[in-house]
Amino acid sequence: MFEKVQKIIAEQLGIEAAAVQPESKFKEDLNADSLDLFEMVMAMEEAFDVEIPSEDLENLATVQDVMDYIKNKGVEE
Amino acid sequence: MAEMINELLSIRYPIIQGGMAWVATWELASAVSNAGGLGIIGVGGADVQWVEQQIRQMKAHTDQPFGVNLMLMNPQADEIADLLVRERIPVITTGAGNPGKYITHWKENGTKVIPVIASVAMARMMERAGADAVVAEGTESGGHIGQATTMTLVPQVVDAVQIPVIAAGGIADARGFAAALMLGAAGVQMGTRFVVARESIVHEAYKERVIKAKDIDSEVTGRSTGHPIRVLRNQMTREYLRMEQNGASLEQLEQLTLGALRKAVVDGDVVQGSVMAGQIAGLIHGCDTCEEIISEIITGARKLLEQRFCLGENAIGNTCSDRFANA
Repeated sequence: MFEKVQKIIAEQLGIEAAAVQPESKFKEDLNADSLDLFEMVMAMEEAFDVEIPSEDLENLATVQDVMDYIKNKGVEE
Repeated sequence: MAEMINELLSIRYPIIQGGMAWVATWELASAVSNAGGLGIIGVGGADVQWVEQQIRQMKAHTDQPFGVNLMLMNPQADEIADLLVRERIPVITTGAGNPGKYITHWKENGTKVIPVIASVAMARMMERAGADAVVAEGTESGGHIGQATTMTLVPQVVDAVQIPVIAAGGIADARGFAAALMLGAAGVQMGTRFVVARESIVHEAYKERVIKAKDIDSEVTGRSTGHPIRVLRNQMTREYLRMEQNGASLEQLEQLTLGALRKAVVDGDVVQGSVMAGQIAGLIHGCDTCEEIISEIITGARKLLEQRFCLGENAIGNTCSDRFANA
């Protein structure tokens, strides 16, 4: 799953995939602003066929948070 | 096509006044609501008690629908969000963030929830979370801004969501209003034009600065911090941009802007204060009452849309007379 998530985030933010690590914080480490987060979440929803309601966004601070969230929704890849 | 916001909000005209911090007090907001638009109290960074007093005054001065804008970075946002439910505010707009966690609670009493958004993805998420409409705000606006222009953002958002889209940013007269309708908007939100309204309590020096502003007098500070803000250029912005270029820390930059909006709005310090205004400031030449502003826009738009309709028909090969002959 990490590779897929890494690829989506890198594409959305226009950065090198290597810069995206599980512990990367979106705001502090990847310089993503709130609009970037919306774009990223929409891309994740499409890629993993899950729904991420906007009220859950504030709990997703790191790449790992996103992976855990998606796994909790029953996605196993 | 989504319904117009005057129907959605039970107001006479599809014009809403932006919820500007320090500026959008009950004095301005009640005047806009009484003139047939939607007046909005701007919470900004104020505390719960202030908001409560403003709502009390608002209810005493208008029997028309009104709104409150909650700036989501406000440290007391949770408490204020609860207050808005208790007070059964007809319309809540939100700025500077994601109101997702509040929407269901707010809608319990039939409050209409209208987040201000700056991208298609955010508009989609808000629609899904239950928003009744969105304000698509272009980068022409004053204060906190996004990247896309009104001209590009509005039609893209209109295509992406089913709920009504209110255009904001760069609209101050009948032409802007009519153009917004052409882009598919169901109404407009205006800030800068209402800043200089007679009923607005901002300092005369601030109003004068906005009226004197030319087309290219605004500047964007804070791009490096992730919270860009459009203000009219002055000594504060020059200093800010110089520090920003030299890689000043967030703390140093915040020190410079701390209380700067209050300084401009309340004290009238237009040199060191933060004189927030949109790019359309150059078009605004005087102070009118809210009633004059709204009626000028509605009557002007009525005329313009008729004239332009005929011009448009000619341009695409029909003539107005043909159309009426065939009707």
